[in-house]
Amino acid sequence: MTTASPSPLIRFKNASLGYGSSPILTKVDLAVEPGSFWGVLGHNGSGKTTILKTMLGLIPCLGGELSFRGTPRFGYVPQKERLDPLFPLSARAVAEMGTYRKLDLLGRLRRAGDGGVVDRCLADCGAAGFADKRLSDLSGGQKQRVLIARALAAEPEILVLDEPLAGIDITTQQALLKLLKDLKEQRDLTILMVSHRVSAERGLFTHAAWVDEGRVTAGPSSEMFSSGRLSEVFRTEL
Amino acid sequence: MSVLLDMLKPDFLLHHALWGSVVVGFVCPLVGVYFVLRRLVFWGVALPQVSAAGIAFAFMLQGLGFNFMAGGETGERHLAIVGAVVFTVGTILVLAALERRGAGLTEGRIGALYALAWAASILFVAWNAAGETEMFGLLKGEIVAISESDFHLMLDIFAALAVAVLLFQREFTFVSYDRDMAVTLGRNVLAWDLLLYLIVGLAVSLGVMTVGPLVTFGYLVIPPLAALPWARGMRSLSLLASAMGGASAFAGFYLSYTRDLPLGPVVVCIACAVYALSSAARLVVPRSS
Repeated sequence: MTTASPSPLIRFKNASLGYGSSPILTKVDLAVEPGSFWGVLGHNGSGKTTILKTMLGLIPCLGGELSFRGTPRFGYVPQKERLDPLFPLSARAVAEMGTYRKLDLLGRLRRAGDGGVVDRCLADCGAAGFADKRLSDLSGGQKQRVLIARALAAEPEILVLDEPLAGIDITTQQALLKLLKDLKEQRDLTILMVSHRVSAERGLFTHAAWVDEGRVTAGPSSEMFSSGRLSEVFRTEL
Repeated sequence: MSVLLDMLKPDFLLHHALWGSVVVGFVCPLVGVYFVLRRLVFWGVALPQVSAAGIAFAFMLQGLGFNFMAGGETGERHLAIVGAVVFTVGTILVLAALERRGAGLTEGRIGALYALAWAASILFVAWNAAGETEMFGLLKGEIVAISESDFHLMLDIFAALAVAVLLFQREFTFVSYDRDMAVTLGRNVLAWDLLLYLIVGLAVSLGVMTVGPLVTFGYLVIPPLAALPWARGMRSLSLLASAMGGASAFAGFYLSYTRDLPLGPVVVCIACAVYALSSAARLVVPRSS
């Protein structure tokens, strides 16, 4: 199913996505409108992250078409477990990486990066209080706030989050979802969020894409979360 | 105390050996930090041996009559450096390409490479009996015979490598820590990796020419491991590891000179003692917030 728009920020058209030369998702049709909040949903290993990686340019689109309106600025929040705790990096140092798109010689020689932007992003994400602590010493929810601050420091149009709520307690999940909702409104962001489950975040999504058995079914959340669709996805009567 | 003061004098007989070792002790940990953080410690074992094989290959060519560089002993030394750099950088590029493809078992690859490099070194020396003495001295890490101009050139190159590693620390850290984010921000990850590998190749090659493969491996890995528990950031990790490497080199030289012991093994033992003390102290001293 296609979510059509005259000028989407990102459009997949009959795309094949995967690694090497083996597509794991085929006939992907997806159009991301400015200001939308997408949930990319499906079981573990279904290929949700593959969509994100293709969109971000980390892996090539194997077939079909992937087009962008202009050159979109992405802010990427990876799965927090992917970041090696061996690196002796403070939360502020990690958040500063968001500003590394434009490191000039003077910026390199200064002790800190664009400190004002970084501090503001940390504050906006409620991470200013533990900015000087080592990232590996923080809780899951705190790490996630720092990684969102890092993505914001890149001054993105599109915020892309990969399983941001995994391994985090319910209360912290609620707080992070409220943070995302507030940031979206304050900064006029388009958000794509990968999740392997659907609970509290469902209310935030304006659109959803179900990824299952090599296919992607996408559309407005009113349609994607209808009981008929959910029965189809979960292969059970709801 | 008088021995210590004698060692610091410019006319000290083993001036080149002392300061060559100390400079390698300062610079190799700056590079080794990335071996440790990228969890490629075994590269630190294998690459110095590959470098030694490159040197043995260069000596073998000379022994077989292929004299590409004029200048007698100095020319031989220059050709040896070229052999070390070509072997080391070439190997790093092949290893990096295999890492990127994610093919096979990394540890297995490095283990096989280490064995091959040792075997090749011995075979190259066997095919060139005249180079055996020089090669043996090199494997022990003896640089007493180096000329004044070569010594200063070596110091200049090490200084340039240290400046480059510190100047581009943010880029090297960024592409080592989160490649995906770096790509997303439009950074040329491959170019930064290649620059880092070139610096690694030069540091390892010159390190092996100066202090031998054993000590080079020691400097690459042990000081960063000793510094890691105390580091509050990448800059402090690099500087602390570098200081530990330089101090181990100086202390090792002093002990080796005063007790008439071989330099390389003494330096490695001291670096390991520093690592053990650092780890023990970390267990006792509480981490500040």
